[in-house]
Amino acid sequence: MSRLVTRRSFIKGTGAAIAAIGMSRLVPLPSFDRIMTTAARTYSSFEDVYRQKWSWDKVTWGTHLVDCYPGSCSWRVYTKDGVVFREEQGAQYPQVEDRVPDMNPRGCQKGGCFSEVMYGSERITYPLRRTGERGEGKWERITWDEAMTTIADAILDAVESHGPESIIHEFGSGEGGVVHGALPSWRLTRLLGGTVLDSNGLTSDFNVGMYETFGKFQFASSIDDWYHADLILMWHMNPLYTRIPSAHYIMEARYNGARIVSIAPDYNASTIHADLYVPVVPGTDAALALAVSKIVIDEGAYNAEFVKEQTDLPLLVRSDTRRYLRQTDVEGKGREDQLYFWDAKANELARASRKTLDLGDTDPQLEGTFSVKLADGSEVEVQPAFALLREHLEQYTPEHASQTTGTAAGTIRRMAKMVIAAKRIHILQGFNTPKYYHGDLMERGMALLLALTGNFGRQGTGMRGWNSSQLVMANNLKAKPGFEGFMELATNQLDLEKKLHHEDPDLTAEMLAIGVEREEATNSALSPLRMSGMMIPPHFYWYWHAGYKDVWNKREWADTGMKRRFDEYFQEAVDKGWWDGVVQPAQDQTPQVLLGACGNTLRRTRGGAKQLLNHAWPNFKLVVTTDYRMSATGRQSDIFLPAAAYYEKTDFRFPTAHLNFLVFTEKAVEPPGEAKEEWEINWLLAKKIEERAKARGVNTYKDRRGREFKFSGLLDRYSYNGEVGPSEGEKIAEDLIFDTVRAGALPEKTNLNTFRKKGIVRFTHVGIDAVGMNMATDIEKDKTINPLQWHTRDKLPYPTYARRIQFYIDHEWFLEAGEQLPVHKPTPKMGGDFPLTMTSGHQRWSIHSMWVVNQVLARTHRGHPTLCMNPDDMKQRGIADDDTVLVHNDMSSFKVRVKISPSCRPGQVVIYHAWEPYQFPGGKSYDVAIPGLIKWLHLAGGYGHLRYYRWNWVPQQVDRAVSVEVEKTA
Amino acid sequence: MAKNGKTAAPAVTHKAQNQLAMVFDLNKCIGCQTCSVACKTLWTRDEGTDYQWWMTVNTLPGKGCPMDWEQMGGGYRDGVPQEGTLPTRDEFGGGWDFNYDEVFYQGKGNTVHLQPVGKKPTWGPNWDEDQGAGEYPNAYYFYMPRLCNHCTHPACVEACPRGSMYKRPQDGIVLRDEENCRGLQFCAEACPYKKIYFNYVKKVSQHCIMCFPRIEQGVAPACARQCPGRLVFVGYLNDAERPIHKLVNKWEVALPLHPEYGTDPNIFYIPPLSPYRLKEDGSLDTETPRIPNEYLERLFGPRVHKALNTMKSELAKVRAGGKSELLDTLIVYRWHTLFEPFTRDPVEVGGPQTVQVL
Repeated sequence: MSRLVTRRSFIKGTGAAIAAIGMSRLVPLPSFDRIMTTAARTYSSFEDVYRQKWSWDKVTWGTHLVDCYPGSCSWRVYTKDGVVFREEQGAQYPQVEDRVPDMNPRGCQKGGCFSEVMYGSERITYPLRRTGERGEGKWERITWDEAMTTIADAILDAVESHGPESIIHEFGSGEGGVVHGALPSWRLTRLLGGTVLDSNGLTSDFNVGMYETFGKFQFASSIDDWYHADLILMWHMNPLYTRIPSAHYIMEARYNGARIVSIAPDYNASTIHADLYVPVVPGTDAALALAVSKIVIDEGAYNAEFVKEQTDLPLLVRSDTRRYLRQTDVEGKGREDQLYFWDAKANELARASRKTLDLGDTDPQLEGTFSVKLADGSEVEVQPAFALLREHLEQYTPEHASQTTGTAAGTIRRMAKMVIAAKRIHILQGFNTPKYYHGDLMERGMALLLALTGNFGRQGTGMRGWNSSQLVMANNLKAKPGFEGFMELATNQLDLEKKLHHEDPDLTAEMLAIGVEREEATNSALSPLRMSGMMIPPHFYWYWHAGYKDVWNKREWADTGMKRRFDEYFQEAVDKGWWDGVVQPAQDQTPQVLLGACGNTLRRTRGGAKQLLNHAWPNFKLVVTTDYRMSATGRQSDIFLPAAAYYEKTDFRFPTAHLNFLVFTEKAVEPPGEAKEEWEINWLLAKKIEERAKARGVNTYKDRRGREFKFSGLLDRYSYNGEVGPSEGEKIAEDLIFDTVRAGALPEKTNLNTFRKKGIVRFTHVGIDAVGMNMATDIEKDKTINPLQWHTRDKLPYPTYARRIQFYIDHEWFLEAGEQLPVHKPTPKMGGDFPLTMTSGHQRWSIHSMWVVNQVLARTHRGHPTLCMNPDDMKQRGIADDDTVLVHNDMSSFKVRVKISPSCRPGQVVIYHAWEPYQFPGGKSYDVAIPGLIKWLHLAGGYGHLRYYRWNWVPQQVDRAVSVEVEKTA
Repeated sequence: MAKNGKTAAPAVTHKAQNQLAMVFDLNKCIGCQTCSVACKTLWTRDEGTDYQWWMTVNTLPGKGCPMDWEQMGGGYRDGVPQEGTLPTRDEFGGGWDFNYDEVFYQGKGNTVHLQPVGKKPTWGPNWDEDQGAGEYPNAYYFYMPRLCNHCTHPACVEACPRGSMYKRPQDGIVLRDEENCRGLQFCAEACPYKKIYFNYVKKVSQHCIMCFPRIEQGVAPACARQCPGRLVFVGYLNDAERPIHKLVNKWEVALPLHPEYGTDPNIFYIPPLSPYRLKEDGSLDTETPRIPNEYLERLFGPRVHKALNTMKSELAKVRAGGKSELLDTLIVYRWHTLFEPFTRDPVEVGGPQTVQVL
């Protein structure tokens, strides 16, 4: 018998046996090892045994649809006997620019063993229903029809009893597909009028400080652009852990002459390849950035031309009110946001253009004090923001900053010297800053340093936010597929743009695109489907429904800069209408159904394992998890729906400008057991909801804003006017490509077959939506990508209140907080007053919690969660390596094993993100000890760019620098 | 398993016609374990190979894997075979099975958590990851990828009493005929690098085969081709036009690990640079290297100083605006040039292999 036949019949036989014996459905898939070694065989020589191992039946393209940055690694998936036996990088990335290294091979150890996850014990392959208590681990297998009926009825009950907003959809970071993953459930939830929580708000990946400064954060260089830098500051990024496939550019830039500096509390893995290590006390980076900025200014080493043209620093600020001088002040009428500078050439007041950054014949003053006559006849003293900044920075001498940052004054001076000498500085800052309470201040400080030295808009310069643009994902909004659906959207978009243009004729294309997004976010004005808001900031849900009101109002843990109670700020923000359109679910609208799509809210939500479980969970009538693997949230669910994994469906990884390639995955094998593609799962659910509504005799209903929804026709609306069947997800993939080609962001004639052949295609344009426009740059076929060039080269204004890179924010709350300019502020004592500071960072062995429990990966490290600790701190507490300790604060406690780490800063303990809670004794992970505060100031609104739209200006929880104590335990 | 009292056969050099070699640039290694996983998914998924990692990446300074392997002897001194220790299963560690079923399905809630079944692990293939040495803020470490050195003077081959091991003449890859092997493990005792494992199911010794089935098809080994850090050069040592020869023989920046073990390894390493140390007052200590020179000398021998100086002076040259052929080579503008002539895409090999199954 040939080996092939043996293996095929083995798999087939096992499947049948599992189906036959009832409870064994819960038994994991047949072990891969055993499949590979069943057949007895003889070879002509010993070496043939190994030659035969490296053989396959077919090769397909694969990528991993995860929220990893930048991800988009293209793999070849090798299948033998109906089983994916391994994957290897496709390595087809072309060299983009001459003399800049190519991106190959791209891919890390996680991607290299996804096939292990597919067949691992964590895989779920049948719909399950809880039979014991939530989280107890007692399940029964049910049919898809039973599962859908249960969910549909719970949704109908929720709509009836509490309104559609009580259906919560958690996006999570577990899925990066654009056809499947979380998107079908997103669409269905919106069609029902439910609450889709903002995914950036959930993950805390919103770079607030960048947004405050640029009016956007969705811009980033391509990774090969790092190579052009001559000074790379790794600052709040640990690329050796978190950017494994991209990190080579740092070392290659070094060989190309760049100097590498690592700024971090601990001597992290990335630091080993640096030239200079700059140690800092956790949470004090703003002081460091400001100290270096001060030296740059004091030595006259700033780029005055860039500062005058691109930033708000020449704009005049009134000494009496500390607010900008406005047209309404000067003329008694006109625009509030028409601001001024003092023109040195004419020696007179000049309006700062809202249309262009081009200064023409004017030359703004950066220094001095001027007197201006107002419309009411009074005279006020005004100063350029730059003069205020210079004065403000007086407190940041290297010696003074040194006391805050713990960085020696000499090191600060050394760093400043490197900054001044460099021609192209790139700050590699990741998603760590937004997870600090005052992370926005750190980012504003970094941006200041780069703006002062003119390091934006040229190859090799800048800092990074996040960008997922290029691909026109109209599929989320379209009512019909194809060109017709596209035109419906385009028509609505034009109407909206006209309206916006009428309100302000000086809007750029980028600002119009943002405006349209905002209209969709708050009024569902773009999609002809008239669904509920695109996404909803999660803080109302947390505050009113998940017990965070108590935590956020705890005075002892609060930001010492707060003049009032958190509650007061919260109420004021709501009362002033700063969040109108997205205040949802309402305070009296208890969430009823949780639809978790490939996310892991009980792992991710800071403090959620405590707060959500104790406050939201008891009220949920039904918790549903759709995933391919058992997560902590899956364990606490009522229904588990098994999803197809990444090599079992056709999809693309959402693209990012870091890479600028659209990367394809296709079906190598059928999903195992009864697992299904997410498009089909939600198709079945839409159908069932419609059926059940009819049977129960209900149809129309309204949400709190009076919008009317109907159950009848739900499936038609979900399935693009009935045109995409349950197993026709590929049609959506095809449609996405066509829309993107139409928008000019993919080469003409690109279609699914192009991807089947090539696996990847490079984008030709940044895309047409707000996210794309935020890049503000052209994509050239033979150049690395650097954003913001439409501003720096073409002089288009930035989408901030001041229409410039904005360092002076004169919003009333920012003035109240004393944060009108970037400033250092101490991290609040979150969790209480304890001697150790617990920080975190993404770990090397997982993407969020994906892969973290996989057996193969768990064998590449200690296989259990660890808390890294400095040997001195361990010694003081009588702790030895690998001891179990109790980590506790006033929030909660958890047990974990210690890993000795001489690289850890004394006083700092590091627990990397993101272990599954069920890897900890008692199921209590480090997440329970994190209070999950949001910064009160981020509730501000009603000011230029400080207004919510999807992924932007969204309050988010912080988790870095939590106060804890650690003691030895059994 | 204790010491091997046996004296190995007299040293013989097994000169291959062509010798395959690899150079690992440690200044690009990111410790990500992708090479290890690439190897694992290809060769050691069978029963009995659970704990085997033919390709490991450890943090140095550290005890490595098997634990304290540098103290286990083997190899040669002045051509004389040295007594070696057989590493125990515990010294390798790893290969754990976890209690998934208990955590997910047995109704035990949070009274159980995910952990290895059986004995609590105390060591594994990467147990002291990122630990290193030194004191904050002058801690230091670097990553050391290790696989079989496919030595020119392989102690394992000479130690095998059954003649099961051989060095292929066409490429110098060291292999073992597993059908002839009886699991006596003299090879593992003799190997000074302790990169030979024991398959407890098949009762044979096993080690890295340098992906010879790939090499034969013109495809680079999985560990090298899948390395996202682009730091592994593959080629013939005597191929004068290609990087390996230049790095090893011309610029002399690539050195074997523990040359004093006397086996003439064919895996070479570019030694690690490190950030300046910081003095008490935070100023830079430009005199004392962060990674002590003595430590690097212990690993790579006295030639390490010249290699490091060459790297530093080439870096300085480029930073001053000059050109460096050495650094240009290490940058690797085009990925496939790492592997010439083994640059074929596996896909081109053409689907199902044509090996005759009898």
